[in-house]
Amino acid sequence: MNPKTQRSIVLVSILLILSTSTFLILKALKDNIVFFYSPTETIEKFKTKKNVKKIRIGGLVVKNSLKQNKSKVEFEITDKKTKIKIIYSGILPDLFREEQGVVVEGRIKKNIFEATEVLAKHDENYMPKEVADTLKANGNWKGN
Amino acid sequence: MINEFGHLLLIFALFISFYSIIIFALNILNFSDSKLLLIRKFSNLNFFFIFISFLILEYAFINSDFSLSLIANNSHTSKPMIYKISGLWGNHEGSMLLWILILTFFTFLVSKTKVIPKGIFFSNVLGIQNLVIFSFLLFTLFLSNPFERTESIPFEGKGLNPLLQDPGLAFHPPMLYLGYVGLSISFSFAVASLITKDLKPNWFIYLKPWTLVSWCFLTLGIALGSWWAYYELGWGGWWFWDPVENASLMPWLIATALIHSINVVEKRYDFINWTILLAILGFSFSLLGTFIVRSGLLTSVHAFASDPYRGIFILIILGLSTGIPLFIFGLKNFKKNNSKFFLLSRETALLFNNLILIVSTITILIGTLYPLIIELIQNSKISVGPAYFNATFAPIMVPFVIVMIIAPFLSWQKTAKKNLIKKLMLLLILTIFGTFIFYYLKPSSIFGLICGSLSISLSISIILEVFNKLKSTKQSFLLDIKKINLLPKNFFGMIIAHLGLAVFLAGITGEQFFKIQFEKELTINQKFKLGQYEILFSNVKEVNGPNYVSRSAEFDIFLEKKIVKKIISEKRFYTAEKSQTTEAGIYSSFFKDIYIVFGNKVKANEWIIKAYLNPMVTWIWLGASLMALGGLVSIIGLKNRKILKIED
Repeated sequence: MNPKTQRSIVLVSILLILSTSTFLILKALKDNIVFFYSPTETIEKFKTKKNVKKIRIGGLVVKNSLKQNKSKVEFEITDKKTKIKIIYSGILPDLFREEQGVVVEGRIKKNIFEATEVLAKHDENYMPKEVADTLKANGNWKGN
Repeated sequence: MINEFGHLLLIFALFISFYSIIIFALNILNFSDSKLLLIRKFSNLNFFFIFISFLILEYAFINSDFSLSLIANNSHTSKPMIYKISGLWGNHEGSMLLWILILTFFTFLVSKTKVIPKGIFFSNVLGIQNLVIFSFLLFTLFLSNPFERTESIPFEGKGLNPLLQDPGLAFHPPMLYLGYVGLSISFSFAVASLITKDLKPNWFIYLKPWTLVSWCFLTLGIALGSWWAYYELGWGGWWFWDPVENASLMPWLIATALIHSINVVEKRYDFINWTILLAILGFSFSLLGTFIVRSGLLTSVHAFASDPYRGIFILIILGLSTGIPLFIFGLKNFKKNNSKFFLLSRETALLFNNLILIVSTITILIGTLYPLIIELIQNSKISVGPAYFNATFAPIMVPFVIVMIIAPFLSWQKTAKKNLIKKLMLLLILTIFGTFIFYYLKPSSIFGLICGSLSISLSISIILEVFNKLKSTKQSFLLDIKKINLLPKNFFGMIIAHLGLAVFLAGITGEQFFKIQFEKELTINQKFKLGQYEILFSNVKEVNGPNYVSRSAEFDIFLEKKIVKKIISEKRFYTAEKSQTTEAGIYSSFFKDIYIVFGNKVKANEWIIKAYLNPMVTWIWLGASLMALGGLVSIIGLKNRKILKIED
């Protein structure tokens, strides 16, 4: 092979790697991102529409709402405006507590949210950023 | 009183680094040996000052001196001694002091080194290093002072986050920081080589040992963090694509690219500009990681209390330390080695190694920062989870491993085609054979088959490579073991590190594609099956720890009706911090882990039990340790390396 062909083979492979990666990144960003909503937004958005993709909701766990029903747990979260009932089968994270911030991931069906994941990986002073922003937005934020 | 002294030492250090920067500037205008000596002395002094200051803070932690607000907020008298000591860096301010300690320690080591010619280049390296030290001291003193006083001394401290009360805290952050900060040395060498007039271009090759050292620590630090997350967080996984994990993986990937590109500079005097660029980027990504952790902009398991000014300050350091060198870089170009280019050469393989490492870094960068970008432009909140990374990073790494499998058969500059085809055919046949056997283990998906066969093929390639090197004559199949002594040490470094990746891939294959899960509510004395194992939930007990109370569940693991192991899973409640942690019960063996989590109480005497059978999971960290060992062997091998001498 002459040097020119050798160079072009390298060049073509580089372009191939770059374009494949770009394609993979764009496709993955389209398919795999999870949108975050407050309880109020969730109810409004999926009143009529079916919830196909996974979403995340954040809020405070309502006091005395936690119930254990066989291996399923039920609780409610709120943004101090709207409450949503959450069902989750699995072990709640250690830092899950009533009246604390929590983020749940899953899908909503007929006003009940079926969570596949419950995230509460913060300490007692720390609030998930999304939850804090939601509370700030509707004027229920106590703190700085 | 003594705390004020610690604070004062930090201020002294700030001034010393400032003077060093002035001398560095004067040296650029008019170099003299005496000024270089002064910079070197200052660097030693600075390390000494920071070290004493660090000891003072450590002393205050050990004695639970709650007059310092850092200690009042992060410590407690009932904490075991090891967590009082390591608690120093379990928080933002203290970890910044550790960061600076390591920074000045590395600068001290550089100033002591004998290999760098005593000239303007040396002065520039130390000058840049002092610029970095100065910025971080400024940051620490004004925005995160560990010696800040409390207004009224509390009777008791608030305690340390129970998740951090683990031996992992003693090792994981220091290792990681040694890696992050070590990359600042490569950075300083690269920038110094950009601003030094009359540079002998091969000088900056001296950055190789420093890069290798920081790479080794980074590897160990990441592996330790992953292992810690595995046994402590109770999720049964070892990597979560958390922003902070990504923040450590990105500089690691760049440092890996750097190590490989330096080889091309050394052997072929090519890739020079590229290598300088990588050395600059490596440290930029370290800083970006710091920014991600400290700014609190991204939700992560590593939640430091956040202060927007801190984020902005680090962003400024990041911007200046990346922007200015890149600007100079754009103006300057080292002349190229005009040797011919051949497709079938080690250089080509390393080109692809670097290309894919950069692409994979960008992939992670996009996934990590995308939520921030979307929030800024669309004002909607999103999260990018593991699914994104699995769909991008994993496939991008497939050609990377393939290049790695072929590369050892390629020689520098030009490879004889006939020989190559013969070797590759043998490799291919053995790989197909190995994959066929592996197929009978029934991996759960086609990706498992790909991952496993890559691991097999990489191991075969390494074995063939060693075999080829040890053959007594070209034709014979007999091995001449004595030849081992003739081989360069860095060859073994490479072999061990690459074998590490093969082991790591085997671990991933097992953990991802052969995992068995179980989750059910059980009462005491109930049994359940996990793979070939039968597990008896035998007892629940209340136990008191040093600063926690624990409810522990006992499990007896049976294999073919015989008991093999008893393990204990706990739920701990830390009284001072008022929070709960899960301690998974793990029965770890070479080929598989049994991992049991003791969950919530469902009703009287009934709990949710979650169990995993994780085949090969230990191999993940074994592989990472082998990579670090390979790096270590390469460092030792550097002693008698030959650097290509370039006449200018």
